[in-house]
Formats: sequence, C-alpha cells, structure tokens
Amino acid sequence: MSNNLDDQLRSALRAVDPGDEFAARVMARIANESMRPRRSMPAGYQWLSAALVAAVVFGALIAHDRQVRREQQGLEARRQLIEALRVTGEKLDLAYRVVNDEAHAATRENPGA
Amino acid sequence: MTEADACATEDLLSRAVGGESAAFTALVRKHQRLVYSLALRMLSDRHKAEDLAQDVFLQLHRSAASIESAAHLLFWLRRVTINRAIDRLRREPRYEDVSLEEGLLLVSDACDEDPLLQRRLRELVGRLPAAHRAVVLLRYQEDLDPAEIARTLSMSINTVKSHLKRSLAILREQVGNTAAMGPDGTASRLEHAPTKHGSVT
Repeated sequence: MSNNLDDQLRSALRAVDPGDEFAARVMARIANESMRPRRSMPAGYQWLSAALVAAVVFGALIAHDRQVRREQQGLEARRQLIEALRVTGEKLDLAYRVVNDEAHAATRENPGA
Repeated sequence: MTEADACATEDLLSRAVGGESAAFTALVRKHQRLVYSLALRMLSDRHKAEDLAQDVFLQLHRSAASIESAAHLLFWLRRVTINRAIDRLRREPRYEDVSLEEGLLLVSDACDEDPLLQRRLRELVGRLPAAHRAVVLLRYQEDLDPAEIARTLSMSINTVKSHLKRSLAILREQVGNTAAMGPDGTASRLEHAPTKHGSVT
C-alpha cells in the first residue's frame, strides 16, 4: 500500500506546464517594471527624509521669528532712548531758562552790584 | 540534473546577468514547470499560481547575480516559490474545496492511471496544512530526499520526516475512506483533516 501510495502521489503530483506564452508574459512584466520609474529609496527612508526636511523648515521658521522679534526689540529700545533724550533735553532746557531768568532778575534788582 | 544540463543553465544564467533577455527567457522556459507546479499545488488556483510564478521569476531577474550555480538556482526557485505561497496563504486563507476546474485541469494525461483517484489525491494534498503540503510536494513532485527538503524549507530532518509520515497517514486514511464509500461519499470525513496553515520556518 505504501509503495502504491508513493507511486500514486508521484503520478498525481506530476509537474504541469503553465503554457507556451508564460515566458512571454514574464518578460512583458519585466519590461513593464523596468520602464516604470524606480523609487530611489524605501518608503521608510522617504518618511525619514520628509521628517528631516520638515524639521529643518520648522527650525528655519523659528530662527526667522526670533530674528524679527530681536529687531523689533532693538527698534523699540531705540525709540525709548530717543524719547528719554528728548525728555532730558526739555528738562535741561527748562532748568537753564529758570537759572537764566533768576540771574537776569538779580541783575535788575542790584544794577550797581 | 546532468553535468551538461548544469553547464547550459549556468551559461544562460551568466548571460542573463549580463543583460541578455533571450537568455533569461530561456531560463524561464526551462524552470517554469517547476515553479508553476509548486505554486499551483500550494495555492490550488490557476490564476494565483500564474501570478505567483511570475513574481518568482521577477524576483529572480532582480537577484540573478546572487545565484552561484545551477543547483543553487533550483534550490532558490523551490525555496522562494514555497515561501511566497505560504505567505500568500497566510494573507488570504484559501477556500477549502479545490475547484472542479482545477480538478479537471490537473487530471493526469496518462491513460493507464485512475484519473479520479489522482484528482482525489491532489484534492487531499491541497487540504494538508501548508508546511505539510510543501514537504509532500518537494518529496513527490520534486523527488527531493528529506535532507534536501529540510535545507529548502529551513526545517530539521526530523520535522520533515514527521510531516511526511503524518501527511501520508492522512492521505492513506482519506483515500481508503474514499475507496470504501464511493464517489458520493468522498467529502464525508474531510472535515477531520487539519486545515490550519503551518509554517516552514
């Protein structure tokens, strides 16, 4: 029975041919694949490179934002300095006028002095 | 494989690696029966088998440079075909019955053999767990010995022998039942045959 089953299996599982056109179909698929543009890197690496590009762009945006803020702070400081100088100038001018007026008044009161 | 045959295959291989498409076509023609038959018996579906066999040759086209000899090519084709078939069976579990079309398609062309028994055997082999089926196919279709099967499927020889023994016991029992019950009762005990797909790794 065992040898008989072996023989029957060998006979039943004999190789079958896929047909004369099989090789042509395989070659057509190979030609089709070679015409298709190849992906230069696996999908995982593409995600990685996209993430790197996104990180670089994000970093550049943050740096640009900081630079703009720093420039605005500089302009504000300059404006405040000019305002402070203007106020100081006015005060000095006022003080000069007060001192000058008092000196003129003293001269008028004591012309011979 | 004779030495002359191996030399001819290695010549085709080196020309194919060099970019000669006629040489690769000849390689496909030379090995298409092996690859297609293994795929067909693993998947029991002509269209899926054709698709899988084409995929195997596409993979061969990409990695032909890594094949070292005619024997290595045979080993590589068997291994890749079986592994791809098992992967496919895991992804899309096969329906249980081998279709009538497949049965008719695969009927032996030898007149002195019982076509019904042969068809029945193919159906029963198609219902074995995938790893057992792979072992049976490599043993009876490819005529490999257990050591060669073990190398091809990355199994121990003891596992191969155990799969073979178990598979033959199932087939013997089922064929006996079929013979005893006649054509109308052929499917009555098949539910007991294991159908879960096993692994060859």
